[in-house]
Amino acid sequence: MVKMIVLVKQVYQTADLKVDRATKRLVTQGVPRIISETDKNALEEAVRIKEKHGGKVTAITMAPPEAKEALREALAMGADEAFLLTDPLFDGSDAHATASVLAAAVTKLVDYDLILCGAYSEDLYAFQVGPRLAEICNLPQITYATKITLDGTKVVVERDLENERQLVEGKLPCLITVLREINEPRLPTLMSIMAASKKPMTTWAATDLGLTADKVGLNGALIEVLQSTVAAGERKRIMLQGDVSETAAKLIQSLIQEGTLKAS
Amino acid sequence: MPEDCKGIWIFSELHQLATELLGRGRSLADGLRTELVAVSLGSPEYGQQLISHGADKVLLATNPILNTFQVDTYTDALASLAVEHKPDVLLIGATRNGLELAPRLAERLKTGCVTEATRLEVDAEKGRVLMERVAYGGNLVETQISRSKPQIATIPKGLFPALPADASRRGEIVKVEPKIGNPNTRPIETKPKSSKGVRLSDAPVIVSFGRGVRKKEDVAIIEQFAEAVEGVVGCSRPIAEDLGWLPEEQYIGLSGQKVNPKLYFACGISGQIQHLTGIRNSRVIVAVNSDPKAPIFEFCDYGVVGDLYEVIPALIGAMKQSSGK
Repeated sequence: MVKMIVLVKQVYQTADLKVDRATKRLVTQGVPRIISETDKNALEEAVRIKEKHGGKVTAITMAPPEAKEALREALAMGADEAFLLTDPLFDGSDAHATASVLAAAVTKLVDYDLILCGAYSEDLYAFQVGPRLAEICNLPQITYATKITLDGTKVVVERDLENERQLVEGKLPCLITVLREINEPRLPTLMSIMAASKKPMTTWAATDLGLTADKVGLNGALIEVLQSTVAAGERKRIMLQGDVSETAAKLIQSLIQEGTLKAS
Repeated sequence: MPEDCKGIWIFSELHQLATELLGRGRSLADGLRTELVAVSLGSPEYGQQLISHGADKVLLATNPILNTFQVDTYTDALASLAVEHKPDVLLIGATRNGLELAPRLAERLKTGCVTEATRLEVDAEKGRVLMERVAYGGNLVETQISRSKPQIATIPKGLFPALPADASRRGEIVKVEPKIGNPNTRPIETKPKSSKGVRLSDAPVIVSFGRGVRKKEDVAIIEQFAEAVEGVVGCSRPIAEDLGWLPEEQYIGLSGQKVNPKLYFACGISGQIQHLTGIRNSRVIVAVNSDPKAPIFEFCDYGVVGDLYEVIPALIGAMKQSSGK
């Protein structure tokens, strides 16, 4: 029986995000929301561990109420229960405040062997929540997992580092962050989607977690965002057209003339 | 931490990256009129080298337990030093190790952390550092500050130049003994990755391709072109992750390699934000794509609308002819 908690984050499908150059705003309208890819891998891994060793998978997200959709997907993928941590007080949380809320939920759940999550989220790529949560809960962290093998209370993890691959051994309970390489997440079947609607989903607000306004959201954040601007994509955008070999010659010549390319 | 924090600290377990952090740290320290301190953990010991690259002081911890990177012991060491010496700013190299160390350390010190900061500016008036990072698939640039100290940022490789080594520079080397607990995990085996000797991060010219290349055999055309322009071959995410035509280390994008060549050729790459984020720091971008509406054309310096199967051979030909001129 392995008791696992998987942290999931709902994100906008980044490939579909666009910038309105006139208003300099991010256009999110109509952009699908998905479970961040590496979190999905974490979920898949937990379900596989359950299938092999027996156990229970609990999915948790801290998000606005819309994220119920992501939790339903997690349940359809094989999670047994889900918790939505939602409260207007959580708005504006940075990595520290988010980890604090998640830590409060994890602490309230008490009984777990393993916490799994993506190494990063698809929208922010901050790589922070996993290690911060591990620190708050005083748990060992094993990051960038590409393979997880459980053996009693021992866990052996393959990790993908900068220039190396590492095999590392740890003890449960611990927190493991995973990379996309670890597995191919399953697609929920119609049956599993229907079954998911009968699984328990619980909503917890700040008071349920014993959290006060000064600890979470904008107030609890240690990072302040002063400014958020549209990334400048200013490039020359010189379009070359016409006969292929003339175009090619013109391009190579321009690159050599401006010193970007060396003549052969 | 109290307000009397001072000094710019840098740390990376990679010596080259540490010198790059010193390069940026030097001007930050001058801007904030404070000292630049490098932390050296375990062996090899870098003392004088760090000084010659700009450090005023090196904190040298030689405890052999620090000879290999482990997040537990490195967090303990840096936290213990930070609590004792109260740095104002701490820059950590954004390697995979650095990226798991920085947030854990920041949480222990109850301070903010900006991962993969791409710009740092001194706000001298308020005595703080403005840190920029890219978010939402490269669409937004956020300027962030830390409300507490030390102000921690992780900095990617190759972003800031190191200062040339100057052996005549003088500085102080201080031996320190930070408090370190036992690590919670045990490395069993560490093997180098089998990258075929191609270093995208160092390449001045990169020829990259995407789904516009239809068959694996056709990668040869790209390789020939790369050879003609003395470039290194890279690719977009689907080529490495879905098709497996190149190793994962060769794909460029938000989740893959971030590159900063002088010249970047995007051949048959549509230009999803995911990819564009990885090539943002290229000096000149050339795009070849058959779809005139491909987003890459919004983000290039030179665009050629055409079939890469015709354009690339023509470019190889033009390159050969350029030698005669």
